This record gives sequence, structure tokens and C-alpha cells, in this order.
Amino acid sequence: MDIMVKLFLMFMKLSAFSFGGGYVMIPIMMQELEKNGLIDPSMVTDIVAIAGMSPGPVAVNAAVGLGYCVSKLHNMGAWGILPAFMGIALPCAIIVILVAMFFFNVYKNKHVQSALYGLRPAIAGIVLYAAAKLALTNGIFFAHLDTLIKTGANFMLAGHHIAELKSLVLFAAAFFILAKTKLHPIYLIIGSGIIGIFVF
Amino acid sequence: MKLYIEIFLTFLRLGAFSFGGGYAMIPLIERDVCTTKKWIEREKLYDIFSVSEALPGAIALNASTFVGYSIGGIWGAVAALLGNLVPSVLIVFALIASYVHFKDNTAVQNAFNGIRPAIIALIVYAAYKIAKSGIKDFVTVIIFVCAFVACLVFVVPPIPVIIAAVVAGIVTKMVRRKSKKISDDERGGQL
Repeated sequence: MDIMVKLFLMFMKLSAFSFGGGYVMIPIMMQELEKNGLIDPSMVTDIVAIAGMSPGPVAVNAAVGLGYCVSKLHNMGAWGILPAFMGIALPCAIIVILVAMFFFNVYKNKHVQSALYGLRPAIAGIVLYAAAKLALTNGIFFAHLDTLIKTGANFMLAGHHIAELKSLVLFAAAFFILAKTKLHPIYLIIGSGIIGIFVF
Repeated sequence: MKLYIEIFLTFLRLGAFSFGGGYAMIPLIERDVCTTKKWIEREKLYDIFSVSEALPGAIALNASTFVGYSIGGIWGAVAALLGNLVPSVLIVFALIASYVHFKDNTAVQNAFNGIRPAIIALIVYAAYKIAKSGIKDFVTVIIFVCAFVACLVFVVPPIPVIIAAVVAGIVTKMVRRKSKKISDDERGGQL
């Protein structure tokens, strides 16, 4: 029981005070759990991999996975999932609802509009950065030995990896479909998964 | 009640298929919430995303809750939040239980090699749509470029970038209002 409360409070604190979304929160989660001796460090890498490949919010996925591991380690079945995801969800619900209540009242205010005027292009830049980062860490550009897609069409220049061409073609096709057709993005994801099985 | 169920089911479906976290979810939410159901206008959705990004916690969860609130108030927010949570919890649980079996399966790995470029396309598309609604003049181009470079090259965390951009936005608009007032006064004086 003690561990359940501890887990809940830990994830609540994380959710309420860490900015930048799931990929920023995962390393902090790992640190906290290891510091408190709640988790077997050798399991963490696999859990993070699962969190990244599952659909849904990455932070929630990681919390569910880590909560599961903690309760496994302490012979409590799968019950650790409960405090972990509730700890993540509760601050989000409270903070977002409070901000939303306030936000729509001041939305038309000239200072709020000025703030949004500066915020929008910055968010566009940050989102584009997230895409670039994902491409870099998954061997699409400038791959290292551990990120290289071995079955890909890797374009090398003077011994250095430049780009993986199959991914680039898939990216271009996906972007074109998004921009020019009315296909629901869900089918795009399913379709690209099926194509992936055949081309890689 | 019917609206809340509809919100719950919409976000349940989105949650089950939004690979790659909050950013990749933007085009999916946009398709359902703006195009199909016409619950909120596009511009407003991008603003909701921008604000969600600046709040603590999981971006996808924040954005879903925020969108849910703007459709159906507090219960709309709760419906969207729960809808987004349920698939995550079930799928991660199922995957962990079977992870040892498919960990080294090449078909699964290849499927993800195919999905990843599509996710990147979703994120780039989201950036493009937000840029289209947000980049209106020289100052916003500068903010966009600075934010991207600061994150990628100088590894600045998002929050300082967001604060700097908000300050830049407010200052720019203030200076513009002032110079507009001065030029209006001058014109007034000449007449």
C-alpha cells in the first residue's frame, strides 16, 4: 500500500511540474524510480521502447509501463498501473480545466492575442524540431551504428551516413496524401505499417 | 449526455491510433474535430494546441482535455481525457505482457520502420498548419526560425523558448501600437 501511495504522489508531482511532454518526462520518471529503488533498471529500456511504440500519450504509456514493472517487482500483480496513470492524469485534468475556463474568457483580449501572436510561430518551430529529432534518432538522417536501419536503402557519402531513402520516399508520400487528399490519418498509419513490412 | 459519449468515443479512437505522442496527434484531432464534426474552428484548435504545449505534463493529454473542454465544458474535458487514457492503458498492458514474444520479430520492426516516416509526416504537417496560421509577417518568421534553431542546435528546452516568444509577441505588438498611435497623431496634427 505504501508503494502505491508513493507511486501516485511521484507521478502526480511529475505531471504537475515537468514541461515539454512525454519524451522530456521519461528520463525524469526513470531517475525518480531508480533513486527510490522501486524498479529494476534493466527493465527500463524495454519499457521505454514499448511506451514509444504504443499509441496514445507517450507519458501515459511510460507511466503505465513503469507502474506495472514496480508492482511486478514488489509482487503486487498489475495494480501499480492504477496509481501511475491516475497520478499522471489528475494534475492534467485540474490544470487544463482551470486554464481552459480562464482562457476562453480572455481569448479576445488584446494582450492575450499579442502573446498568441508570438507563441504560434514558436510552437510551429518546436513542432518542426520534434519531427527533425525523431528523424535523427531513428536513422533517417545521419544514422549512427545503433540507429542505422539495416534493411534500408542507406545513402552514404565519404563513409558517412546521409539519409535512408526508403523512409524519405514514405515520408514524402505520406505528406502528399495528408496535404492533398481527404484520407483519414488513421488509415495512413495502418497503410504505412503494412508497406513497411514489405519494403524493409 | 449524447455529446459526452460522442466526445469520449472520438478520443478513444484517436487515442488508439495516435502513434508518436502529442504532435503527431494534431492532424488526427483536426480531421475529426474540425472537418468531420465541426466542433471548433481550425484557428482556435491551433491556439489550443499552442497553449497545451506550454502547460506541464503530457502534451497529448493536455490537448485532448483542452479540446474536450472547449466542446463540452468540464464534462467534455473529462470525457476526452478518459477516452484518451483507456486505449493507452489497455494497449501498453497487453504489449508488456507479450513483449518477450515479439521483441525480435522482424515483421513488427519493419512495420514500425514504415510507420515512423508517416508519423514524421504527420508532425511536419502539423508544424506546417500551425506555421500557416501563425506566420504572418517578418517578426513571426524570425520567431519561427529562432525557436527551431534554439531547440535543434542549442538544445534549449521548450519552456524558455515559449516564454521568450510570448514576450517577443507582446513587445512587438506594443511597439506597433505605439508607433501607429504616433503616426496617427502626426497625421492628426497635419490636418
